[in-house]
Amino acid sequence: MSVLAMSDHTEVTPHSFGLAVRQTVAMAKRSTLEIFRQPALVAPSMIFPIFFAALGASSFGKTTDLPGFPKVDSFLQFSIAATVVQGVLFGSVTGAAALATDIQNGFFDRLLLSPTTRTGILIGRLAGSAIFGALQAAFFIAVLWPFGGTIESGFIGIAIMVVSGGIVALAIGALMSSVAIRTGSAEAVQGAFPLLFVLLFFSSAFFPRETMTGAYRKIADFNPISHLVEGMRELVLSGYTTSALMKAILIPTAVCIASILFAQTELRRRLAAK
Amino acid sequence: MTSASSAPFSGAPIVAENLVRHFGDVKAVNGINLTVNAGEIFGFLGPNGAGKSTVVRMLTTLLRPTSGKAMVAGFDVAKNPDDVRRRIGVALQDAAIDPLMTGTELLRLQAVLYGIPANKMKARANDLLERVGLTAAADRRVGTYSGGMRRRLDLALALIHQPTVLFLDEPTTGLDPMSRISLWEEVRRLNKEGTTVMLTTQYLEEADQLADRIAIIDQGNIVREGKPQDLKASVGFPTLLVTVPNDQLDRAKAVLAAFGDMRPTAEGTLGVGLRGGAEAVTDVVRKMDEASLRVQHLELNEPSLDDVFADATGHRLEGAKA
Repeated sequence: MSVLAMSDHTEVTPHSFGLAVRQTVAMAKRSTLEIFRQPALVAPSMIFPIFFAALGASSFGKTTDLPGFPKVDSFLQFSIAATVVQGVLFGSVTGAAALATDIQNGFFDRLLLSPTTRTGILIGRLAGSAIFGALQAAFFIAVLWPFGGTIESGFIGIAIMVVSGGIVALAIGALMSSVAIRTGSAEAVQGAFPLLFVLLFFSSAFFPRETMTGAYRKIADFNPISHLVEGMRELVLSGYTTSALMKAILIPTAVCIASILFAQTELRRRLAAK
Repeated sequence: MTSASSAPFSGAPIVAENLVRHFGDVKAVNGINLTVNAGEIFGFLGPNGAGKSTVVRMLTTLLRPTSGKAMVAGFDVAKNPDDVRRRIGVALQDAAIDPLMTGTELLRLQAVLYGIPANKMKARANDLLERVGLTAAADRRVGTYSGGMRRRLDLALALIHQPTVLFLDEPTTGLDPMSRISLWEEVRRLNKEGTTVMLTTQYLEEADQLADRIAIIDQGNIVREGKPQDLKASVGFPTLLVTVPNDQLDRAKAVLAAFGDMRPTAEGTLGVGLRGGAEAVTDVVRKMDEASLRVQHLELNEPSLDDVFADATGHRLEGAKA
């Protein structure tokens, strides 16, 4: 057996920005690997949005003739954006639940015991969700394409939707991570998930705002998911526009920055309480 | 690359002064003082809930002390936690290891977290895997490991950056006897190579076998501290344990009290610190016979750390009562 000599003093590597990046990338690699090593956890967020899209296309096909509905080839084409956002919302909870599991089983303490930046721990954990969100967006577009889900903006639009999927996953992942950090409970994260569903249904994800009335319409007007979905939908139905780009990228980016700052605050609070 | 501050530290690697930790109204640690010298294996012995893990969590920067001061590897745990973290290795109580990753992947992740250069990482990971006997299982997911294998991997992870001080929080809890002995051997070997080890345990034998010095903690206070042999010698006489029928306990106690101080024991058994040692056993048996007491079991034990614990706290370590 070879013996690794334990030196009389520890090898201490000084802090640097480069090391912080290496550490964050290593933790991101771990969180990505974990997602793909749990197919049973990942499959529902890939299958159910496709199922809902198929169900919507067969049930609500005639609604495209309603006043206020945009000009579309089919209800399926109309619902591509909603399918992407819905799937990404589903999937983004996985990363936050994994963070809560890390806290529950003590792996989070192992990370805290290392000379790693606390932001790096958070970002590294969420990076897997972001990569998964981008892949989900690409998957939904690829699956719906042959059934009439054409994207009028072509490759640029697809690329924007994929990037947007990643940012949405990061934003929602950070938000749900705040729950994970505050409670340290994977069950609490899963329990908070229906709130995302409510947010999705009170948006223009499944029907245009022009077809809504009353309080429902007002909530949808203020709901950032409405604007995000409409940005993606514009890319699908009308081609590339600056306004579509802004809505698909800037809205989730703004939410992302706010939710990461919130998650960092929660992390600082948790560590200060220790 | 190593920093200038990586020069060997020459003082005591662990010093705690009046360290206190409260959780709301619960006083988990009540102002403990301790010094662990370089090259020592220091055992922290106490029952569940005594405050052992709380002390370790404060010394390893996971918990902030409510008050008091602690220096580890020459750095204040509250003021310079990052400097402390870079010099200590920690294996916590539950061997928190991601079950979805392989042993090799976890070691490499740990190496990056501690800034081990990429060109040294593979060799370091392989050496540690070999050292803890996990080379064959290195590419298997940790979820398939046994409890003993997880503990050994946990130890390897704690050693990736060649720490000056190693904290082991109940490292053998839940392990089978063979795994326990194997881990003890590894701890001894590490210590011989110059690593200072602080070990918490609730197992008397573990503390006795491994530790150069021991602190006994109960209800957040250190109640005894010293070398195991000195602590045991301080108890004095061996303990004579006598079991009689329950209805004869009071009369038996009266007889035994004449031979020394009564000691805490398990329920249904009487214990006395036997003045005169083994030679006095015959006299005890004669007196018991004269008193028409029916002795069911009789056993003479040399002083143990459990006797030290009982002497200091009035109760036994493993659930016995005074």
